[in-house]
Amino acid sequence: MADYGAITMPPSDPALSRKTAIVGIGETDYGADYQAERARPEGWVPPTEETLLTTAFERALADSGLRREDIDGITTSFTYGGPPADEVAKMLGVKARFAQANGNIMAGPLPVACAAIAEGKADTIAMLFAVASRSAGRLFGGMTHSTGGVADPDTEDRTPSSYYYYHPWGWSSQAAHWALIFGHYQWKYGVGEEDLFHVARQVREHAMAQPQAVMRKELTLEAYMGSRYITRPLHLFDICVVNDGAVCLIVRRADMARDLAHVPVDVAGWGHSKVKKNKMHVMVREQLRPQLQEASAQALAMAGVSLAEVQHFEGYDASSFHLINQVEGIGFTEPGTGLAFCRDGQMTVGGRIPTNTSGGNLSQAYMQGWSQVAEAVRQLRGEAGRYQVPGAQVSMTNLAQTDQTHPIVFVRGDR
Amino acid sequence: MAAEKRPDRTLGRHHDTFWDYCGKGELRLQKCESCDHVHWPVVQKCENCGEKGFAWDRMSGRGKVVSWTTFERDYYRGLMPVPYDTILVELAEGPLFMSNPQGFGWQDLSADMPVTLSFIEAEDSAGPFKLPVFEREG
Repeated sequence: MADYGAITMPPSDPALSRKTAIVGIGETDYGADYQAERARPEGWVPPTEETLLTTAFERALADSGLRREDIDGITTSFTYGGPPADEVAKMLGVKARFAQANGNIMAGPLPVACAAIAEGKADTIAMLFAVASRSAGRLFGGMTHSTGGVADPDTEDRTPSSYYYYHPWGWSSQAAHWALIFGHYQWKYGVGEEDLFHVARQVREHAMAQPQAVMRKELTLEAYMGSRYITRPLHLFDICVVNDGAVCLIVRRADMARDLAHVPVDVAGWGHSKVKKNKMHVMVREQLRPQLQEASAQALAMAGVSLAEVQHFEGYDASSFHLINQVEGIGFTEPGTGLAFCRDGQMTVGGRIPTNTSGGNLSQAYMQGWSQVAEAVRQLRGEAGRYQVPGAQVSMTNLAQTDQTHPIVFVRGDR
Repeated sequence: MAAEKRPDRTLGRHHDTFWDYCGKGELRLQKCESCDHVHWPVVQKCENCGEKGFAWDRMSGRGKVVSWTTFERDYYRGLMPVPYDTILVELAEGPLFMSNPQGFGWQDLSADMPVTLSFIEAEDSAGPFKLPVFEREG
């Protein structure tokens, strides 16, 4: 059974708001690494979690302007396994008084690190995420989640049952979840695939401004409609890329973050909500709206800001349509209006809520929510380039799975 | 007709009961003995009240199509030839049930299309079984 790296997230406690700040970010060269993996030139060596996270760490350290000895904590987040956190610290030459594994996808790991800093376990933590799934030839469906057979009644509820339970009918994969939601939405609101195109197009436009995005070619309606289906009604371009890479975020006690290389980006609030019953109904008929509403309200309350003050959003676009679930569910636009909202430019700079401004999972990279946090940091520093949101002060990221959602609110800090 | 090869069912406590009923041509779902919440898929404890006692409620077999997905990607590495269709059926009793259309395809689908239960012969690595699927009503 797949291990989702479940961790206990600290509560959305206002006392923990803005006590930590992100002071350094580092990412691998997603585009170049993707091209190399496809071309496999002579002498090419597949990346490992270790090589990837070393690159991300060194870049984040340089970005922060801190010295190696300023880092006193390491957390590691690996979806498909990696070395223990204390070994990673040793490998990176970091004397860590705090070193621990910390989930995987960007849901709980950042709040966990913030709480550890607030508790005095460390002052400055380098949070590392690395994934080498593409080189490993991973398939995101079928028997990836459970092999069927006899379930262990004590642990079977840990993985969302929809990932594996419908194998006998041939139904599995994340993509199928989003296809099922969009299939219902099409009937309910009378929209078509050509309406959904605008989400993939908008996110691709953002990626085209990123030198290291995996997908940088302009996406036309013809290319989109002509692309193969993965899980009908979703086309290839409605599904995220799969690539190898790593992200490092350096988080530091907020009172020690005011005189560094960059404007600090304060971690201001977070939330979490999970479907408790009738998952298929909540997912397909309600697009996870109750969970998106509840969790974003928690995060905003903890941060002490309103939704109207959020100027930038980084959602989890595992699928184009899942981004619409989030934009509608959190309340940037009304249910049923998300596709027109995107078509009309409301999800880019100049619109209501510039979204996934570095190209998201659909076109930039699939770093399981971590690259979205890096982009939020760039936006709040004012370093986001062509799709910089003018005067950005408040950003929200959101990791939404098929049954739960984890928003985080970031605020540009003081110097 | 030869049994269709299918990816493996989840088996074990309660799961086996579901498939045993299917073997008799009955679609029965777990109903919590404490709060009457009807579950699908199988659970080990009630997701509404947490109790562990269940009765098995027989479904009428009538329903309507709520959504659908057609698999073009071969996630099961050739076990089920692609493309194939899946439908999400709202049973008359309320639960949503993932299944396959029998005798029609995605091109025939429309919102809330009425369907009725039938069973086909199937086989996975645990052996032959009866798989609940849905036909067009009437």
